[in-house]
Amino acid sequence: MQKSTIPFLLINCFLAIVLVSCGSVTKNYTPKKLDKTAVEVPYFSEPKTDYVYKTNISVYGHEMSGIFIAKKINDTTHRVVFTTEFGNKLFDFEISETTFKVNSIVSELDKKILINTLKEDFRLLLKKEYLIQEQFENESDNIYKSADGNRDNYLFVSKKDQKLEKLVRSSKTKEKITITFTLENDIFAKKIVILHQNIKLKIELNYFKSE
Amino acid sequence: MAKILKNMKTKIALLILFISGNLFAQEQKMTDAEIAAFKQDVNVVSKKIKTLSTDFVQYKHMDFLSKDIETSGKMIFKEPNLLQWQYKKPYNYSIVFKNGKILINDEGKKSAVDIGNSKIFGRINKLIVGSVSGNMFDDKEFAISYFKSKGQNLAKFIPKDATLKKYIKQIELTFDKEATVVQVKLLESSDDYTRIVFKNKVINAKIDDSVFTN
Repeated sequence: MQKSTIPFLLINCFLAIVLVSCGSVTKNYTPKKLDKTAVEVPYFSEPKTDYVYKTNISVYGHEMSGIFIAKKINDTTHRVVFTTEFGNKLFDFEISETTFKVNSIVSELDKKILINTLKEDFRLLLKKEYLIQEQFENESDNIYKSADGNRDNYLFVSKKDQKLEKLVRSSKTKEKITITFTLENDIFAKKIVILHQNIKLKIELNYFKSE
Repeated sequence: MAKILKNMKTKIALLILFISGNLFAQEQKMTDAEIAAFKQDVNVVSKKIKTLSTDFVQYKHMDFLSKDIETSGKMIFKEPNLLQWQYKKPYNYSIVFKNGKILINDEGKKSAVDIGNSKIFGRINKLIVGSVSGNMFDDKEFAISYFKSKGQNLAKFIPKDATLKKYIKQIELTFDKEATVVQVKLLESSDDYTRIVFKNKVINAKIDDSVFTN
Protein backbone atom coordinates (compact mmCIF):
# COMPACT_ATOMS: atom_id res chain seq x y z
CA MET A 1 0.00 0.00 0.00
CA GLN A 2 2.68 2.40 1.09
CA LYS A 3 4.57 1.67 -2.12
CA SER A 4 1.77 2.50 -4.49
CA THR A 5 0.61 5.76 -2.84
CA ILE A 6 3.90 7.56 -3.36
CA PRO A 7 3.86 7.36 -7.16
CA PHE A 8 0.19 8.23 -7.09
CA LEU A 9 0.86 11.32 -4.99
CA LEU A 10 3.73 12.25 -7.25
CA ILE A 11 1.54 12.00 -10.30
CA ASN A 12 -1.08 14.09 -8.55
CA CYS A 13 1.44 16.79 -7.71
CA PHE A 14 2.75 16.70 -11.23
CA LEU A 15 -0.75 17.02 -12.65
CA ALA A 16 -1.52 19.89 -10.31
CA ILE A 17 1.60 21.75 -11.45
CA VAL A 18 0.84 21.10 -15.10
CA LEU A 19 -2.76 22.25 -14.74
CA VAL A 20 -1.79 25.43 -12.93
CA SER A 21 0.90 26.33 -15.42
CA CYS A 22 -1.39 25.53 -18.31
CA GLY A 23 -4.04 27.96 -17.12
CA SER A 24 -5.61 30.25 -19.68
CA VAL A 25 -3.52 32.98 -21.24
CA THR A 26 -5.87 35.54 -19.77
CA LYS A 27 -5.65 34.39 -16.16
CA ASN A 28 -3.78 37.50 -15.08
CA TYR A 29 -6.20 39.86 -16.74
CA THR A 30 -9.51 41.25 -15.61
CA PRO A 31 -12.54 40.70 -17.86
CA LYS A 32 -14.19 43.86 -19.05
CA LYS A 33 -17.26 44.88 -21.06
CA LEU A 34 -16.57 45.08 -24.82
CA ASP A 35 -15.88 48.65 -25.92
CA LYS A 36 -15.50 47.75 -29.62
CA THR A 37 -16.20 44.83 -31.93
CA ALA A 38 -13.14 45.17 -34.18
CA VAL A 39 -9.52 46.30 -33.92
CA GLU A 40 -7.83 47.80 -36.98
CA VAL A 41 -4.13 47.18 -37.61
CA PRO A 42 -2.73 49.88 -39.90
CA TYR A 43 0.93 48.85 -40.01
CA PHE A 44 0.89 47.16 -43.43
CA SER A 45 -2.35 48.49 -44.88
CA GLU A 46 -1.27 51.41 -47.10
CA PRO A 47 -1.22 50.26 -50.76
CA LYS A 48 1.19 53.03 -51.81
CA THR A 49 3.87 52.12 -49.29
CA ASP A 50 6.76 49.72 -49.85
CA TYR A 51 7.32 48.23 -46.40
CA VAL A 52 11.04 47.44 -46.35
CA TYR A 53 12.77 46.01 -43.29
CA LYS A 54 16.29 44.79 -42.56
CA THR A 55 15.66 41.40 -41.06
CA ASN A 56 17.41 39.01 -38.72
CA ILE A 57 16.09 35.50 -38.32
CA SER A 58 17.32 33.26 -35.58
CA VAL A 59 16.20 29.64 -35.93
CA TYR A 60 17.48 26.93 -33.59
CA GLY A 61 20.73 28.81 -33.05
CA HIS A 62 21.29 29.58 -36.72
CA GLU A 63 21.41 33.21 -37.73
CA MET A 64 20.21 34.50 -41.06
CA SER A 65 19.78 38.02 -42.31
CA GLY A 66 18.27 39.75 -45.29
CA ILE A 67 15.64 42.20 -46.41
CA PHE A 68 11.92 41.74 -45.82
CA ILE A 69 9.59 43.51 -48.21
CA ALA A 70 5.81 43.61 -47.95
CA LYS A 71 3.39 45.45 -50.16
CA LYS A 72 -0.36 45.47 -50.43
CA ILE A 73 -1.10 44.61 -54.05
CA ASN A 74 -4.92 44.59 -53.90
CA ASP A 75 -7.78 44.74 -51.35
CA THR A 76 -7.10 41.31 -49.93
CA THR A 77 -3.55 40.36 -50.83
CA HIS A 78 0.02 41.24 -49.86
CA ARG A 79 3.16 40.38 -51.76
CA VAL A 80 5.88 39.30 -49.32
CA VAL A 81 9.47 38.95 -50.50
CA PHE A 82 12.63 38.10 -48.60
CA THR A 83 15.99 38.78 -50.24
CA THR A 84 19.64 38.65 -49.22
CA GLU A 85 21.49 41.95 -48.75
CA PHE A 86 22.81 41.48 -52.30
CA GLY A 87 19.26 41.41 -53.58
CA ASN A 88 18.70 37.79 -54.58
CA LYS A 89 15.26 36.57 -53.67
CA LEU A 90 15.04 33.80 -51.11
CA PHE A 91 11.28 33.58 -51.21
CA ASP A 92 8.41 35.42 -52.84
CA PHE A 93 4.84 34.85 -51.60
CA GLU A 94 1.39 36.22 -52.29
CA ILE A 95 -0.74 35.97 -49.22
CA SER A 96 -4.28 36.83 -48.15
CA GLU A 97 -6.46 35.58 -45.29
CA THR A 98 -7.73 32.73 -47.41
CA THR A 99 -5.22 32.27 -50.21
CA PHE A 100 -1.51 31.59 -50.42
CA LYS A 101 0.77 31.38 -53.43
CA VAL A 102 4.49 30.68 -53.62
CA ASN A 103 5.90 32.67 -56.54
CA SER A 104 9.39 31.39 -55.84
CA ILE A 105 11.53 29.92 -53.09
CA VAL A 106 15.16 28.77 -53.08
CA SER A 107 15.53 25.01 -52.67
CA GLU A 108 17.35 25.36 -49.31
CA LEU A 109 14.21 26.91 -47.78
CA ASP A 110 11.66 24.88 -49.69
CA LYS A 111 10.39 22.90 -46.68
CA LYS A 112 6.70 22.50 -46.00
CA ILE A 113 6.99 23.03 -42.25
CA LEU A 114 8.96 26.26 -42.75
CA ILE A 115 6.57 27.61 -45.37
CA ASN A 116 3.55 26.85 -43.17
CA THR A 117 5.19 28.58 -40.21
CA LEU A 118 5.97 31.67 -42.26
CA LYS A 119 2.47 31.65 -43.73
CA GLU A 120 0.92 31.69 -40.25
CA ASP A 121 3.32 34.43 -39.09
CA PHE A 122 2.74 36.68 -42.07
CA ARG A 123 -1.06 36.26 -41.99
CA LEU A 124 -0.97 37.39 -38.38
CA LEU A 125 1.37 40.27 -39.16
CA LEU A 126 -0.48 41.55 -42.24
CA LYS A 127 -4.10 41.10 -41.13
CA LYS A 128 -5.86 44.44 -41.27
CA GLU A 129 -8.81 43.89 -39.00
CA TYR A 130 -9.48 41.55 -36.10
CA LEU A 131 -13.08 40.89 -34.99
CA ILE A 132 -13.36 40.94 -31.21
CA GLN A 133 -15.45 38.65 -28.98
CA GLU A 134 -14.09 39.30 -25.50
CA GLN A 135 -12.19 41.99 -23.72
CA PHE A 136 -9.84 42.11 -20.74
CA GLU A 137 -7.52 44.62 -19.19
CA ASN A 138 -4.40 44.90 -17.14
CA GLU A 139 -2.74 47.98 -15.74
CA SER A 140 -1.37 49.30 -19.03
CA ASP A 141 -3.43 47.69 -21.80
CA ASN A 142 -6.86 46.83 -23.05
CA ILE A 143 -6.69 43.25 -24.27
CA TYR A 144 -9.00 42.14 -27.07
CA LYS A 145 -9.65 38.50 -27.83
CA SER A 146 -10.27 37.46 -31.40
CA ALA A 147 -11.11 33.82 -32.10
CA ASP A 148 -9.45 32.20 -35.10
CA GLY A 149 -10.35 28.52 -35.57
CA ASN A 150 -8.69 26.51 -32.79
CA ARG A 151 -6.47 29.47 -31.94
CA ASP A 152 -7.15 32.76 -30.17
CA ASN A 153 -5.46 36.02 -30.96
CA TYR A 154 -5.02 38.58 -28.22
CA LEU A 155 -4.43 42.19 -29.16
CA PHE A 156 -2.78 44.42 -26.57
CA VAL A 157 -3.78 48.03 -27.11
CA SER A 158 -2.10 50.54 -24.80
CA LYS A 159 -4.47 52.57 -22.64
CA LYS A 160 -2.15 55.55 -22.84
CA ASP A 161 -2.26 56.20 -26.58
CA GLN A 162 -4.64 53.55 -27.97
CA LYS A 163 -1.97 51.81 -30.07
CA LEU A 164 -1.63 48.12 -30.79
CA GLU A 165 1.73 47.20 -29.27
CA LYS A 166 1.53 43.44 -28.94
CA LEU A 167 -0.27 40.54 -30.54
CA VAL A 168 -0.34 37.10 -28.97
CA ARG A 169 -1.54 33.98 -30.77
CA SER A 170 -2.32 31.11 -28.47
CA SER A 171 -3.99 27.77 -28.16
CA LYS A 172 -6.59 27.39 -25.40
CA THR A 173 -3.78 26.93 -22.90
CA LYS A 174 -0.47 28.20 -24.27
CA GLU A 175 1.04 31.18 -26.02
CA LYS A 176 2.41 30.17 -29.43
CA ILE A 177 3.47 33.36 -31.20
CA THR A 178 4.07 36.87 -29.89
CA ILE A 179 4.46 39.88 -32.14
CA THR A 180 5.63 43.15 -30.61
CA PHE A 181 5.49 46.48 -32.42
CA THR A 182 7.69 49.50 -31.73
CA LEU A 183 6.01 52.44 -33.37
CA GLU A 184 7.40 55.26 -35.47
CA ASN A 185 3.98 56.91 -35.63
CA ASP A 186 0.27 55.98 -35.55
CA ILE A 187 0.34 53.92 -38.72
CA PHE A 188 3.91 52.72 -38.95
CA ALA A 189 6.05 50.28 -36.99
CA LYS A 190 9.81 50.88 -37.09
CA LYS A 191 10.59 47.64 -35.32
CA ILE A 192 8.69 44.36 -35.18
CA VAL A 193 9.67 41.17 -33.38
CA ILE A 194 7.95 37.87 -34.12
CA LEU A 195 8.77 35.38 -31.40
CA HIS A 196 7.70 31.75 -31.34
CA GLN A 197 7.21 30.13 -27.96
CA ASN A 198 6.94 26.49 -29.06
CA ILE A 199 9.84 26.45 -31.53
CA LYS A 200 13.13 28.32 -31.36
CA LEU A 201 12.34 30.92 -33.96
CA LYS A 202 12.66 34.68 -33.73
CA ILE A 203 12.22 37.13 -36.59
CA GLU A 204 13.29 40.72 -36.03
CA LEU A 205 12.35 43.43 -38.53
CA ASN A 206 13.97 46.88 -38.50
CA TYR A 207 12.60 49.46 -40.91
CA PHE A 208 15.11 51.24 -43.11
CA LYS A 209 14.68 54.26 -45.28
CA SER A 210 16.07 53.66 -48.73
CA GLU A 211 18.56 56.39 -49.75
CA MET B 1 -12.18 68.45 -76.21
CA ALA B 2 -12.32 64.67 -76.42
CA LYS B 3 -10.84 64.87 -79.89
CA ILE B 4 -7.94 67.03 -78.71
CA LEU B 5 -7.27 64.59 -75.86
CA LYS B 6 -7.33 61.67 -78.24
CA ASN B 7 -4.95 63.50 -80.51
CA MET B 8 -2.62 64.21 -77.60
CA LYS B 9 -2.72 60.57 -76.59
CA THR B 10 -1.69 59.53 -80.09
CA LYS B 11 1.13 62.06 -80.05
CA ILE B 12 2.38 60.86 -76.66
CA ALA B 13 2.18 57.26 -77.78
CA LEU B 14 4.17 58.10 -80.88
CA LEU B 15 6.70 60.01 -78.82
CA ILE B 16 7.15 57.06 -76.45
CA LEU B 17 7.49 54.74 -79.40
CA PHE B 18 10.07 57.04 -80.94
CA ILE B 19 12.10 57.34 -77.70
CA SER B 20 12.04 53.64 -76.91
CA GLY B 21 12.78 52.80 -80.54
CA ASN B 22 15.76 55.07 -80.26
CA LEU B 23 16.91 53.37 -77.07
CA PHE B 24 16.75 49.98 -78.72
CA ALA B 25 18.66 51.31 -81.67
CA GLN B 26 21.42 52.49 -79.33
CA GLU B 27 22.23 48.94 -78.27
CA GLN B 28 24.08 47.48 -81.24
CA LYS B 29 25.57 44.05 -81.64
CA MET B 30 29.36 44.05 -81.90
CA THR B 31 31.06 42.58 -84.93
CA ASP B 32 33.43 39.64 -84.47
CA ALA B 33 36.42 41.95 -84.85
CA GLU B 34 35.00 44.34 -82.25
CA ILE B 35 34.40 41.45 -79.86
CA ALA B 36 37.99 40.26 -80.20
CA ALA B 37 39.38 43.78 -79.64
CA PHE B 38 37.06 44.39 -76.68
CA LYS B 39 37.97 41.09 -74.97
CA GLN B 40 41.62 41.85 -75.52
CA ASP B 41 41.23 45.30 -73.87
CA VAL B 42 39.38 43.89 -70.88
CA ASN B 43 41.94 41.13 -70.40
CA VAL B 44 44.83 43.60 -70.49
CA VAL B 45 43.13 45.87 -67.95
CA SER B 46 41.99 43.11 -65.62
CA LYS B 47 45.46 41.54 -65.65
CA LYS B 48 46.87 44.86 -64.45
CA ILE B 49 44.46 44.98 -61.51
CA LYS B 50 46.26 44.01 -58.31
CA THR B 51 43.92 45.90 -56.02
CA LEU B 52 40.70 47.73 -56.63
CA SER B 53 38.46 49.78 -54.39
CA THR B 54 35.27 51.47 -55.41
CA ASP B 55 32.10 52.99 -54.03
CA PHE B 56 28.89 51.41 -55.18
CA VAL B 57 25.17 52.04 -55.20
CA GLN B 58 22.85 49.04 -55.40
CA TYR B 59 19.32 49.33 -56.78
CA LYS B 60 17.00 46.42 -56.17
CA HIS B 61 14.20 46.62 -58.69
CA MET B 62 11.01 44.64 -58.29
CA ASP B 63 8.09 45.39 -60.55
CA PHE B 64 5.52 45.49 -57.75
CA LEU B 65 7.38 48.11 -55.69
CA SER B 66 6.78 51.87 -55.98
CA LYS B 67 10.52 52.49 -56.09
CA ASP B 68 13.82 50.62 -56.14
CA ILE B 69 15.41 49.71 -52.82
CA GLU B 70 18.66 51.65 -52.68
CA THR B 71 21.66 50.66 -50.58
CA SER B 72 25.26 51.78 -50.90
CA GLY B 73 28.78 51.24 -49.65
CA LYS B 74 32.31 50.31 -50.61
CA MET B 75 33.91 47.33 -52.29
CA ILE B 76 37.57 46.36 -51.94
CA PHE B 77 39.31 43.65 -53.95
CA LYS B 78 42.85 42.37 -53.73
CA GLU B 79 44.40 39.75 -55.94
CA PRO B 80 43.97 36.83 -56.19
CA ASN B 81 40.72 36.47 -54.25
CA LEU B 82 40.33 38.72 -51.25
CA LEU B 83 37.07 40.58 -51.41
CA GLN B 84 35.18 42.83 -49.06
CA TRP B 85 31.69 44.02 -49.81
CA GLN B 86 30.60 46.65 -47.32
CA TYR B 87 27.18 48.26 -47.09
CA LYS B 88 27.25 51.54 -45.18
CA LYS B 89 23.85 53.00 -45.92
CA PRO B 90 21.19 52.69 -44.71
CA TYR B 91 22.67 49.94 -42.54
CA ASN B 92 26.11 48.53 -41.76
CA TYR B 93 26.63 45.09 -43.21
CA SER B 94 29.96 43.78 -44.35
CA ILE B 95 30.87 40.51 -46.00
CA VAL B 96 34.43 39.26 -46.61
CA PHE B 97 35.39 36.43 -48.95
CA LYS B 98 38.72 35.03 -47.80
CA ASN B 99 40.44 31.62 -48.00
CA GLY B 100 37.28 29.68 -48.70
CA LYS B 101 35.39 31.45 -45.91
CA ILE B 102 32.69 34.05 -45.79
CA LEU B 103 32.96 36.40 -42.81
CA ILE B 104 29.91 38.48 -42.02
CA ASN B 105 29.60 41.50 -39.78
CA ASP B 106 25.96 42.51 -39.47
CA GLU B 107 25.72 45.71 -37.40
CA GLY B 108 28.42 44.30 -35.10
CA LYS B 109 26.99 40.79 -35.03
CA LYS B 110 29.68 38.51 -36.44
CA SER B 111 29.44 35.13 -38.10
CA ALA B 112 31.44 32.91 -40.47
CA VAL B 113 30.47 30.41 -43.14
CA ASP B 114 32.87 27.84 -44.49
CA ILE B 115 32.49 27.73 -48.24
CA GLY B 116 35.51 25.56 -48.88
CA ASN B 117 33.34 22.74 -50.16
CA SER B 118 30.23 24.62 -51.19
CA LYS B 119 30.17 24.59 -54.98
CA ILE B 120 27.54 27.24 -55.41
CA PHE B 121 29.27 29.72 -53.09
CA GLY B 122 32.57 29.06 -54.81
CA ARG B 123 30.90 29.96 -58.04
CA ILE B 124 29.32 33.08 -56.60
CA ASN B 125 32.73 34.18 -55.28
CA LYS B 126 34.26 33.71 -58.72
CA LEU B 127 31.34 35.53 -60.25
CA ILE B 128 31.66 38.58 -58.00
CA VAL B 129 35.40 38.88 -58.55
CA GLY B 130 34.85 38.32 -62.26
CA SER B 131 32.11 40.94 -62.46
CA VAL B 132 34.20 43.56 -60.73
CA SER B 133 37.40 42.93 -62.66
CA GLY B 134 35.47 42.25 -65.86
CA ASN B 135 37.28 39.04 -66.56
CA MET B 136 34.59 36.41 -66.77
CA PHE B 137 34.60 35.58 -70.46
CA ASP B 138 34.30 31.87 -69.85
CA ASP B 139 32.39 30.28 -72.72
CA LYS B 140 32.08 27.02 -70.81
CA GLU B 141 30.14 28.71 -68.00
CA PHE B 142 28.16 31.27 -70.00
CA ALA B 143 26.59 31.98 -73.33
CA ILE B 144 27.98 35.46 -73.96
CA SER B 145 26.79 38.20 -76.28
CA TYR B 146 28.38 41.62 -76.90
CA PHE B 147 26.86 45.03 -77.58
CA LYS B 148 27.80 48.67 -78.02
CA SER B 149 25.66 51.35 -76.42
CA LYS B 150 26.21 55.09 -75.95
CA GLY B 151 29.99 54.84 -76.16
CA GLN B 152 30.02 52.01 -73.63
CA ASN B 153 30.41 48.30 -74.12
CA LEU B 154 27.99 45.75 -72.80
CA ALA B 155 28.48 42.03 -72.27
CA LYS B 156 25.55 39.74 -71.46
CA PHE B 157 26.17 36.42 -69.78
CA ILE B 158 23.59 33.65 -69.63
CA PRO B 159 24.61 30.87 -67.20
CA LYS B 160 24.84 27.36 -68.62
CA ASP B 161 24.79 25.65 -65.26
CA ALA B 162 21.26 24.61 -64.26
CA THR B 163 21.72 25.42 -60.54
CA LEU B 164 23.09 28.87 -61.19
CA LYS B 165 20.40 29.48 -63.80
CA LYS B 166 17.73 29.00 -61.14
CA TYR B 167 18.99 32.13 -59.35
CA ILE B 168 20.36 34.23 -62.16
CA LYS B 169 18.77 34.47 -65.58
CA GLN B 170 21.37 36.84 -66.97
CA ILE B 171 24.29 39.00 -65.89
CA GLU B 172 25.00 42.23 -67.74
CA LEU B 173 28.33 44.01 -67.36
CA THR B 174 28.72 47.55 -68.64
CA PHE B 175 32.27 48.75 -69.39
CA ASP B 176 33.52 52.30 -69.78
CA LYS B 177 36.06 53.41 -72.39
CA GLU B 178 38.91 52.29 -70.13
CA ALA B 179 37.51 48.75 -70.28
CA THR B 180 36.65 48.65 -66.59
CA VAL B 181 33.25 47.62 -65.23
CA VAL B 182 30.96 50.51 -64.31
CA GLN B 183 27.73 48.60 -63.81
CA VAL B 184 26.60 45.08 -62.99
CA LYS B 185 23.02 44.05 -63.58
CA LEU B 186 21.79 40.71 -62.28
CA LEU B 187 18.50 39.61 -63.78
CA GLU B 188 16.46 37.06 -61.88
CA SER B 189 14.28 34.48 -63.54
CA SER B 190 11.40 36.93 -63.36
CA ASP B 191 11.73 40.51 -64.62
CA ASP B 192 13.19 41.71 -61.37
CA TYR B 193 16.83 42.66 -61.15
CA THR B 194 19.65 44.04 -59.00
CA ARG B 195 21.66 46.86 -60.55
CA ILE B 196 24.99 47.86 -59.02
CA VAL B 197 26.71 51.04 -60.16
CA PHE B 198 30.40 51.59 -59.37
CA LYS B 199 31.94 55.02 -58.93
CA ASN B 200 35.15 56.57 -57.58
CA LYS B 201 37.13 53.55 -58.66
CA VAL B 202 40.77 53.39 -57.49
CA ILE B 203 43.05 50.82 -59.10
CA ASN B 204 46.26 49.45 -57.57
CA ALA B 205 46.40 51.59 -54.46
CA LYS B 206 48.23 49.82 -51.63
CA ILE B 207 45.72 47.75 -49.65
CA ASP B 208 46.81 45.78 -46.61
CA ASP B 209 45.54 42.22 -46.06
CA SER B 210 44.31 43.28 -42.64
CA VAL B 211 41.52 45.20 -44.38
CA PHE B 212 39.88 41.87 -45.10
CA THR B 213 38.81 41.09 -41.57
CA ASN B 214 35.36 41.46 -40.19
